[in-house]
Amino acid sequence: MEERTRAYLRGRFRDHYRRTEITPPPAANEREWGFIPWTEGPDTTMVRHRSLLELGDLSEFLVRKRPRHVYFSAGRFRDPGASSMSAKDWQSADLVFDLDADHLPSVTLGEDTYAEMLAKCKDALFRLLDFLEDDFGFEDLEVVFSGGRGYHVHVRDENVLHLDREHRREIVDYVRGIGLEYEHLVETETVAGLGRKTPTERRTLEIEGGWGKRTHAHLMAYVDGLLEMEEDAALERLQEFDGIGEGKAEATLNAARNNREQLAAGNVTVHTAVSQLAERFAERAVADDNAPIDEPVTTDTNRLIRLPGSLHGGSGLQTVRLERDELDAFDPLVDAVPDTFRGHEITVDVTDPGEVELGGDSFTVTDGDQSLPEYVAVFLMARGRAEKEKE
Amino acid sequence: MQRLHARYPFLETARDAVATEAVDLATVVDQDRAVVDRARERVVAALEDGETGEPRRDTRVELLSYPVARVLVSMVEERVLVRKYARAEAATAYDRFTTDFENTTELKSVESTGLDLEALLAEFDLDGAVRETADGYRIDVGTYLPLAEDLWGDEWHLVNRALTDGEVPVDDDELLTLLREAIRSRIEDGLPFDVPDVIAAALEDEAAEIREVLADLELTQDIDTVVPDLFPPCMKALLDDIQKGEHLPHHSRFAITAFLTSIGMTTDEIVELYRVNSSFGEEMTRYQTDHIRGDSSPTEYSPPSCATMQSYGDCVNKDDLCERIPHPMAYYEERIDDADDDEIEDWREADREEQSASGD
Repeated sequence: MEERTRAYLRGRFRDHYRRTEITPPPAANEREWGFIPWTEGPDTTMVRHRSLLELGDLSEFLVRKRPRHVYFSAGRFRDPGASSMSAKDWQSADLVFDLDADHLPSVTLGEDTYAEMLAKCKDALFRLLDFLEDDFGFEDLEVVFSGGRGYHVHVRDENVLHLDREHRREIVDYVRGIGLEYEHLVETETVAGLGRKTPTERRTLEIEGGWGKRTHAHLMAYVDGLLEMEEDAALERLQEFDGIGEGKAEATLNAARNNREQLAAGNVTVHTAVSQLAERFAERAVADDNAPIDEPVTTDTNRLIRLPGSLHGGSGLQTVRLERDELDAFDPLVDAVPDTFRGHEITVDVTDPGEVELGGDSFTVTDGDQSLPEYVAVFLMARGRAEKEKE
Repeated sequence: MQRLHARYPFLETARDAVATEAVDLATVVDQDRAVVDRARERVVAALEDGETGEPRRDTRVELLSYPVARVLVSMVEERVLVRKYARAEAATAYDRFTTDFENTTELKSVESTGLDLEALLAEFDLDGAVRETADGYRIDVGTYLPLAEDLWGDEWHLVNRALTDGEVPVDDDELLTLLREAIRSRIEDGLPFDVPDVIAAALEDEAAEIREVLADLELTQDIDTVVPDLFPPCMKALLDDIQKGEHLPHHSRFAITAFLTSIGMTTDEIVELYRVNSSFGEEMTRYQTDHIRGDSSPTEYSPPSCATMQSYGDCVNKDDLCERIPHPMAYYEERIDDADDDEIEDWREADREEQSASGD
């Protein structure tokens, strides 16, 4: 990036911060703050270990320093400005989740467009929120578009702030379905054998919550699908599973027809074939429902996270706090475009041309000098794909 | 009341009772042989049998022996002793409170020596976090996770729990196990502490005896041996990659670095071991290693378990031993144990020899 480009972006970031009110996170003065200034080279040196006291008033600081990136810590400390982590004296930390398009299995890098990546990320976000709201029952959630390639969720429910790294790893594993054992989703009880003298075991899938409930939902959706099919088609569908031949397929179909209610109650002992089938749906549930969050972000109780409301220096987009009911309609490539950069055009020298989808429009950007809406120009410059025109 | 305190010396009220009872601990350890003997027995039994020995009839002796036992544990200053001792005290408490709970239900009354579930939950501030249901209990997830952290077995992992609306369902037995963990964690808390000289002087013989028992049990041998040949296959592969100059994803780098730290390598040594490769960033390695070690962060990180290694695709070249162990550290411990002493050549020793040779 040329100095004139940096100078331009610095200036425009300052303009943005002059006209934007930024709400700091709760307990802002107990957190560590860090920022990356606009410096030469791809090398980004973070200025960190700052307390809010040192930075001064947040809005005034942002206008003065107009940083390229700005962060605050998930952790709260007794002395957030101390230069070593141990001297900071950790007290608690928000539970933070990061969904990054770069880490999503569903994203094909180099093939998916930015818009497609972000859409897939939003799907993953909804899956994540299912876990956080339903399974964990969290109430103090803040959902944020990162301004880059994904979403952050900050959880500040009192009962989890004290959890350490290992405990948070359990939460990560839960959300990702890591270490799930079908055996433990099933409860075994001994019941009197029907019409027999020997007692028999009844195995019931845990359907009240957790991954048992998810596994069960997948199983039942599949079973109900079978029941709607013609016999031949249903048998064929069942035999698509490895290890299920004609005999097991018939047994399973019969069990589904005769014992649907038992199955709906989680009883997987209706037939051994059903039990085997249920086990495969545990895997399917994980594959379909897990939220591929970035583990280190959640387990690191000192992590620095981008400040909502600030500008992302790698895109020129705004980091946006989102209300739960805005999520559906939220289109990051429209709604995160800062007003500051709307409504006028500037001239830039494009070095890496291509399609850009932004602000609700598609732009076919060519090589060389051209006039573009400022938000497109800022986006390209921030991404290193254009330079400010020579004066 | 005194019987209750003697039976459950970790209770807050027991601590208060000690404070009023024992004019001062220095006098007790100096003059009260019965108390000191019982304290030593508590610790030795914890090491040898995982229990705390036969309680004395004299409740005063029994009660006062607990704080003195903690002093002894503190004087020896070994992590393994702290762990074993806390576990033993908690196991004893568990036996006692499960008996008390049974008696309570049978007799429909709480004897003064007994403890009921409600009181125990309240003792650990768990009354608000634990809710009784038709078929067991539900525990707030934020409370459950720390209590279950040291429990072995996949069934304790959150992922295998029917978590709903922030609550983890547990059955009666599981709740009691979690209470045992609450006790263990309270006992472990604050150990070892600084022992005033005057008290330490009076207990030197007892402390020495415990050190001997500990040495005989060979528990203190921290694995401080670096023999890459005996590393689990996953760590061998990661180390190879690093030395070949491959770029490792963060989790892989974390895994190998945490592993090397856990087997006793210093930051300098790890930097040295990684240096073979050209794209190696010393600054980064130092930062990461210090961080994992807990020097620059509040936590000391342990290497990931086999399950985590698997989930990241870092579990490779599994062999027979891998099938039997849950953790790469367990693999290495077993290999070290199985190897003859002369087979074990510490990488650092070899290195030192080499260095001194080249210096000649």
